[in-house]
Amino acid sequence: MSSKRHSILPPVSSSGPKAPVSFSSSITIADSAILTGTSLITISSESVVHPRAKLDSLAGRVTIGRRCVVHERTTLGAIGTTGKVTEHAVTLGDYVTVEVGASIEAGNTIIGEGTTVGVACKIGAGAVIGKNCTLTPHSEIAAGETIPDNTVVYSNGLRRPDRRGVADLRNKGQTRQIDVLRRMIPSNPAKFTA
Amino acid sequence: MSRRALRGEYIETDTGNKVARKATLVGTQNIVLGGKTVIQAEVMIRGDLIRSIQSSSSSSGGPPNNTAVAIGRYCFLSRGACLRPPGRLYKGAFTYMPLRMGDHVFVGPASVLQAASIGSHVHIGAKVVVGEFAIIKDYVRILDGTVVPPNMVIPSFTVVAGQPARVIGEVPEGGHEAFELRDLYKTVGNNPQPAPA
Amino acid sequence: MAPLEPYTYIQCPCSDFSPLGQPADASSPTSAEEEEEEHTFDPRAPRSNFGLYPLEYLLYCEDCHQIRCPRCVAEEIVTYYCPSCLFEVPSSNLKSEGNRCTRSCFQCPICIGPLSVTSLESAPPDPNLLSPDQGGIPHTTYCLTCSYCNWSSTEIGIRFDKPNSIHAQLAKIRNGGETRLTAKERKERRKELSSHRGGGHAAAVAAAAAAAAASEEAEVVDLETQFANLKSFYNRQLADPNASENSLSTLGDLGFSSPSSLSRIMNLYTGGRLNDTRTKSRLGIMREAYTPSEGLLVANLDESDAIAKLHQTTLEDTSSMDQLMAQPPNLGEPQLHGEACFASSLRPIPYLLRTKRSKRCPVCRHIISKPEAKIQNTRFRIRLVAGSYMPSISIKRLSLPGANGSSSSLVAGDFLEPFKPVHFVLTFKNPIFEPLKVTLGTPAKTPGRFPSKVTVLCPTFDIDANTDVWDEALKDNDRESSVRNTDGSGSSSRRQRAGTVGESGQFQVEAGKVWGRGRNWVSIVVEVVPASLQLRNKDDVLKEDEDILEIPMFVRIEWEVEGGGDDDVSGQSAAGRSGAGTGEQKEKRELAYWCVLGLGRIKQ
Repeated sequence: MSSKRHSILPPVSSSGPKAPVSFSSSITIADSAILTGTSLITISSESVVHPRAKLDSLAGRVTIGRRCVVHERTTLGAIGTTGKVTEHAVTLGDYVTVEVGASIEAGNTIIGEGTTVGVACKIGAGAVIGKNCTLTPHSEIAAGETIPDNTVVYSNGLRRPDRRGVADLRNKGQTRQIDVLRRMIPSNPAKFTA
Repeated sequence: MSRRALRGEYIETDTGNKVARKATLVGTQNIVLGGKTVIQAEVMIRGDLIRSIQSSSSSSGGPPNNTAVAIGRYCFLSRGACLRPPGRLYKGAFTYMPLRMGDHVFVGPASVLQAASIGSHVHIGAKVVVGEFAIIKDYVRILDGTVVPPNMVIPSFTVVAGQPARVIGEVPEGGHEAFELRDLYKTVGNNPQPAPA
Repeated sequence: MAPLEPYTYIQCPCSDFSPLGQPADASSPTSAEEEEEEHTFDPRAPRSNFGLYPLEYLLYCEDCHQIRCPRCVAEEIVTYYCPSCLFEVPSSNLKSEGNRCTRSCFQCPICIGPLSVTSLESAPPDPNLLSPDQGGIPHTTYCLTCSYCNWSSTEIGIRFDKPNSIHAQLAKIRNGGETRLTAKERKERRKELSSHRGGGHAAAVAAAAAAAAASEEAEVVDLETQFANLKSFYNRQLADPNASENSLSTLGDLGFSSPSSLSRIMNLYTGGRLNDTRTKSRLGIMREAYTPSEGLLVANLDESDAIAKLHQTTLEDTSSMDQLMAQPPNLGEPQLHGEACFASSLRPIPYLLRTKRSKRCPVCRHIISKPEAKIQNTRFRIRLVAGSYMPSISIKRLSLPGANGSSSSLVAGDFLEPFKPVHFVLTFKNPIFEPLKVTLGTPAKTPGRFPSKVTVLCPTFDIDANTDVWDEALKDNDRESSVRNTDGSGSSSRRQRAGTVGESGQFQVEAGKVWGRGRNWVSIVVEVVPASLQLRNKDDVLKEDEDILEIPMFVRIEWEVEGGGDDDVSGQSAAGRSGAGTGEQKEKRELAYWCVLGLGRIKQ
């Protein structure tokens, strides 16, 4: 590609009202992230939101914990089939990673701390995912389902307990990753606060 | 300068690359396209995730090579594909490694690729997820919906499918021509030629 | 049922016993077709299922001028390599170490994903408890981790000291962390013991013997040892059958079921032949193994331990049939041969080696496919594929605008309506550098319970040679005029549709004329009237895939191989002329085969 263009970013369609936000000071949020909705969107300290991630709070509050990483093309808070509007649409614990293309539906959905939501996962409304879980790519969690702590969901819906005991190690690794990402992604929280 | 009516859907560069206007390419100075490559709309390439640790040998010759994503000739990235360099903890610090693709690679719609290297003449189906640091060799066919786990090596001439990916067959000797994407390249663009019979 | 994409399968002559496969019968096309109708190829016959292949899978032998399929081809192995580390394994290693990778490539026993070596950070030991010589160096251990299902070898209690040559380290550890002796170590131990027995103090010998006996019994379940013991026992028996240690050597004590008495009785019946005398001399009294040291393995039928443990475990902790099938032979725990019920007794699976194979024609032994020996090199030294000798057939549905009122919304792959005629365009592409004459033959009704009517509108036609684009441009002018005369098409460009243009401006299909023609391709139209799938009796059930409309088609292609000829003769030479080298230097070749065109599913 020619070096004259810095990036090719087609304009982000502003599809909805601008959401009220409550940001911590140390977060990294890319310029082309999409934050829409009417309820409060909270992002706690040192979290990273990649470009083109969509946080939708039309159906309730979206809360992101500390040191989370939300990758691009994700949707947090999409209104699911049930169409419920609750006070807390989506809550992410600390150290959660939501990977490319995942979609988490709104309706009191809780993701426990240390969990990795894999690429293109679909989490139904009201699901409760425990701590330190791993959802491998393309897993689907039905609405209202509960996943116990330390579970791995893999290969078309199979579950197994994760006994590695590397939760601390993973969280430390995530911290290092966040340090690197903060330098790489130009952050623009001011765009969303005003 | 260019009126609305004349803007085609694709930007065609002088090396023959056809990049859709609606594709999202972040950090284009770190993305290398080989030539005659087609990038359709809604494709996302993260060129901003570059290697953060520079080896010392790069200081001897010119500016450090910061390629994040290198794509070969006659590649075809379908709608909604996402190319992302893989990253891991290396010597205590987290760093991203470059993603290298060979020639004649077809990437199906809605696929997510985080591989370390993809060879030439590879056909990747729709909704495929390739985990981080996977290595895909030449003449591989990945069927739709496959999930290739991280660190997997797929040898040449295999057909893989499933979650996690398993080898389900081999590419026959007569199937090599099916991987060529020259004809597909001509059917896309601002002046598409119809597909040959 | 999902709609069908049209496909073409070709039958390899290796599965065909009839003499139709052989060419060079001097018969005109029509009589040959009649003959073939009696032996019409039935794609629904169970036998034909194994002989049909898509064009990519077929190879071609240039000396026999015949198609070769993966079933009839003889394969030879060029190299063995591990599919994970891509290292070549010399075939000598294969005999000694088996057909699996012996480096560090393993598959997860739970999900068959790749395992990677990760280091475990062990916490530094308490400094108060350290002995002076340890010095506080943290000892990094390693384990195997699956990156997909997050299984780790720590779940079966296995840790490694070094990150490489995991296979060797794994052979010494059992699940749970106990060590296991390999066969070599066992032999050494036995040698030491026997040398001890020869001399030395009686007390030391007794102690060593007792310890050895105890350890041997504890490890009697080891499959390797048992096999080695049994093998040496049988060898001893064969070498010197009469020198048995027991005293039951008289015939009367052994009864009728012993092997020696049985062989004696059999010899009475078959006696008198010369070759039996040799075996008689070898047959002494042989017996089976009595003790574990000779290789006896007592079956342990008491499963109460396993049952008690099963009461405590959950479903996820038991192993499934797929997981058990994928396990390699478990040398450490033979009683678990395919019967382990717990996931904690599964072990990492070394990768099976893959091969690069070269293929030979079974008849003339010429090599028709040979890859490069190097693994990184994907090229082929010899690659004679059928696709470069036979025309490829592609099928597309033809929707004639306005022909029927309802054809405007047809999509390729839609269901076919019974009793409504449908048209398909078959495009034949010529891969060789000579012009081809193609003759097609199909039965008027498809075989099977629900025969559909088939009409090929143009069964005989020529395809031009696959020349370069420049040659084509030069010949353009010639062709335009000649084509205009014969079938009224416009220019010689690719997209032009032939067939006569009716008065109202629509394209109409005409019998005897090709639909379209290009540089090296010809397309013709096939009309099909699908049958209705009405079942006679109410109990009859539609068998699997019986609703697919398949046409068996006999294709005969003729071309001339030069010595120096030019491409203008083929259209006029009669099909029957066998061209017996009359000084023209042109050799006539023909190839005939059955193929099956799958067009679509009929609506029920």
